[in-house]
Amino acid sequence: MSVQIVMDRSGDTRHEFDAADAKAVGLAEARFNELVGKGFRAVALGKDGGSDRLVGRFDPKVEETLFIPQLQGG
Amino acid sequence: MERLRRTLRALLQRALIEHGHNPTALVDIIIESAAEPRLWLEFANGYRTSALLRPEDCFAFCETHGTWDLVSFRVALRREAQQLYLLMRSEQARERELRRTSLTEQVRRLGRGLAQSLRSRRVHGFAETDTAWFIDDYGSAAHERGMRLLKEKLSCEQLKQYERNAFFEVIGGKTGRRYRIRYGRSMNIDQLDKNGRRICGWCFFPRGNLVAGDVMLSQKVALELFEPEALKVANKIW
Repeated sequence: MSVQIVMDRSGDTRHEFDAADAKAVGLAEARFNELVGKGFRAVALGKDGGSDRLVGRFDPKVEETLFIPQLQGG
Repeated sequence: MERLRRTLRALLQRALIEHGHNPTALVDIIIESAAEPRLWLEFANGYRTSALLRPEDCFAFCETHGTWDLVSFRVALRREAQQLYLLMRSEQARERELRRTSLTEQVRRLGRGLAQSLRSRRVHGFAETDTAWFIDDYGSAAHERGMRLLKEKLSCEQLKQYERNAFFEVIGGKTGRRYRIRYGRSMNIDQLDKNGRRICGWCFFPRGNLVAGDVMLSQKVALELFEPEALKVANKIW
C-alpha cells in the first residue's frame, strides 16, 4: 500500500491507496495535482534511512509522499 | 506683545520638558541688562533658562501694560509668565491624561480583539471536526499526531538529539550550513557556525496554523531539500 500524508491542522491526514488499483491511483494522482496546485510541496520519503526527495510529478511507485503546505516567513 | 509671549512660551516649554512629570514653580524673572539684554526665568528647584530680549519685542508689551520702567515691566512680565505657565501646565496634564486614556483603551481593544480571535478560531475548530482538538494544545490529539510524524521521519541521530535536548540539527542541502531546529512553531531555527555557536536565527513555517511537530518536520525537509527557497521567504533574526 502507498500513502499520501497531508499536513493539516489535525496533525496530518493519511490517504492510502493500492498502486495496483488503477481507480485508486487515478484518485491519488488527482489529489496530488490538486495539492501541488494549491502550493503544497510533495516529498517522497525515503525508506529505511534512504534520503527524501522532492517530487514534481505524480509517481505511483513512491510508497510514501508527504505534502507540506506553502512556506511563509514569520 | 505676541513676540514676547512667544519667547516666554518657549522658555516655559523648555522648563516643562526639563522637569518632566514634576513641574516646579516659577519663582522669578530677571532682566539682565548688558550689551545684549537677556530674559531669565528662575524656578523653585534652581533651574534657570534664558533668551535674548530685544527692545522691539518689549515695546508692544510695555504699551499694553503701561509699564515704562524696569521694575514695573518685570512685575508685569512675571504676572504674564505665571498665568502662561499655569495654562501650559494644565494643558500638559490634560494631554498626559488623554495619552494614558488612549493607551488604556488601546490595550483594552487589543485584549478584546485577541480574545475574540481565539474564540472564533476555537469555534471554527470544533465545527470542522467535532472533536476537542484545536490550536497546538500540548497533549491534544493533533499535537500528538504531529509529534509522532516528526519522530518517524527524523534520522536516528536527529531523534536521539531531539529526545535529549528538544532540538535537532539539520545540514542545509544546498549550502552545507548547519542549522538547529528547536521545539516550537516559529522563530525556532538557529544557524550555527562550525563550533556550534549561533550565527543568526531564521523564521519560516508552513501556512495553515499547523502543530509544532508538523512545523518542525516542514522546516527540516525544507532546509534539506529546498534550502534556498525556504531561506528566501524566511526572516532573518540577529
